[in-house]
Amino acid sequence: MAGLMSGATLRKCISLLVYRGKLFSPEHSTSCSYHKKVVDHYENPRNVGSLDKNAQNVGTGLVGAPACGDVMKLQIQVDDNGKIVDAKFKTFGCGSAIASSSLATELVKGKSVDEALTIKNTDIAKELCLPPVKLHCSMLAEDAIKAALSDYRLKQDKKE
Amino acid sequence: MFMIQVPRVSMLRVNTLRVLCRTGTLLQTGWSLKDRQSLSRAVTCALQCCVSTDSSSIRSLQQQFVPQDRGDKRDVRVRHLCTAQVCLTCWNCQHPLKQKPAFFCESCEVVQPPPEDTSYFSILECDCTFTLDTLKLQKKYLQLQRLLHPDNFSQKSEREQGYSESQSALVNKAYETLLKPLSRGLYMLELQGLNIEEGTDSAVNSELLMELMEINEALDAVETPQEANEIGQDTKGKLADLTEQIDTALNKGELQTAKALLTKMKYFANIEEKVKEKLSSFM
Repeated sequence: MAGLMSGATLRKCISLLVYRGKLFSPEHSTSCSYHKKVVDHYENPRNVGSLDKNAQNVGTGLVGAPACGDVMKLQIQVDDNGKIVDAKFKTFGCGSAIASSSLATELVKGKSVDEALTIKNTDIAKELCLPPVKLHCSMLAEDAIKAALSDYRLKQDKKE
Repeated sequence: MFMIQVPRVSMLRVNTLRVLCRTGTLLQTGWSLKDRQSLSRAVTCALQCCVSTDSSSIRSLQQQFVPQDRGDKRDVRVRHLCTAQVCLTCWNCQHPLKQKPAFFCESCEVVQPPPEDTSYFSILECDCTFTLDTLKLQKKYLQLQRLLHPDNFSQKSEREQGYSESQSALVNKAYETLLKPLSRGLYMLELQGLNIEEGTDSAVNSELLMELMEINEALDAVETPQEANEIGQDTKGKLADLTEQIDTALNKGELQTAKALLTKMKYFANIEEKVKEKLSSFM
């Protein structure tokens, strides 16, 4: 098809596509917007809030992404059997970062501390259908989970 | 005595300027410290004469020629350098393009393709420093766009139209990057081969992250424009402080310090954006 078009027409089509691309925010491509799962988590985030960071059975993970300036806090509450019974998050950043941390709190709930360590950013990215440019948001969420678990561990070690 | 030939290069990239030396002469044993110091001075002089460039590029090249006095060992830290004698010519009339960057041919006045490997600073005729006269920058930007904008080329050939589009887009990109301190600082680091990686800050910056969390949470909770403005003013103050610190670090060549400060600036710049959004939501 492109062979039938003249060079000038092809160039004009490309520049039109690029122009339309500019109408959308950087996260949007020319043909689609945020995935509906991301929109769902953004508009109906699960588990927004805070837990008492001084409580013995609460682990707090605080992480930041220098490249985009996103900040993410994820907290877990663990019972005496080592099971995560509650999780809360607060994220200041793009829609994908908010969705990733919201999903992360859903994933950790009900898991043991050891099981939660196995959660990978790829699980989060797959579930939310994150585009390549937003994969670092899922990485941030994974790091937040690990930081919360690490903080919890430290507290338990101090107690002993 | 030695000769250093510095070729005339039409286009420079800070990292890729090379000096042709007679390596045979330099590798001579019995080269005294005094001679090596003269060499260092000569290189600097030659660079300064031949090239209008920034002090940091001269400094980085000087470092390659700093005499190393290792007691009895009289060797010179020399790199076998080579040069590319780049001499661009006009695509239309083959007249050599002496200006760098060359937007138009001096002879036939036809628009040229955008230069490769030219820094945004030289495109907009600014010194490669963090402190910048933004009014001067804007003036130069408008002056260039008056000449290069595609609207001026609607009656010209397809090739010229294409070149004007690319030149205009490049000038836009250069202006946008150099206008704001954050993007300017990040670009200066990029010129030195340093980038902010896509990783995570956690333990290293926990105090900073806690402070950021608190400010963000406070901003989320504001109920009046005045409260939002207060946070906005506070953030502006922090950004002004950071701008000064980054300027100092870059002038001293402390790139890692500058990188850490620019990271901090990114976080606060995001907060400044959120303050604007919050204020507009009150309207």
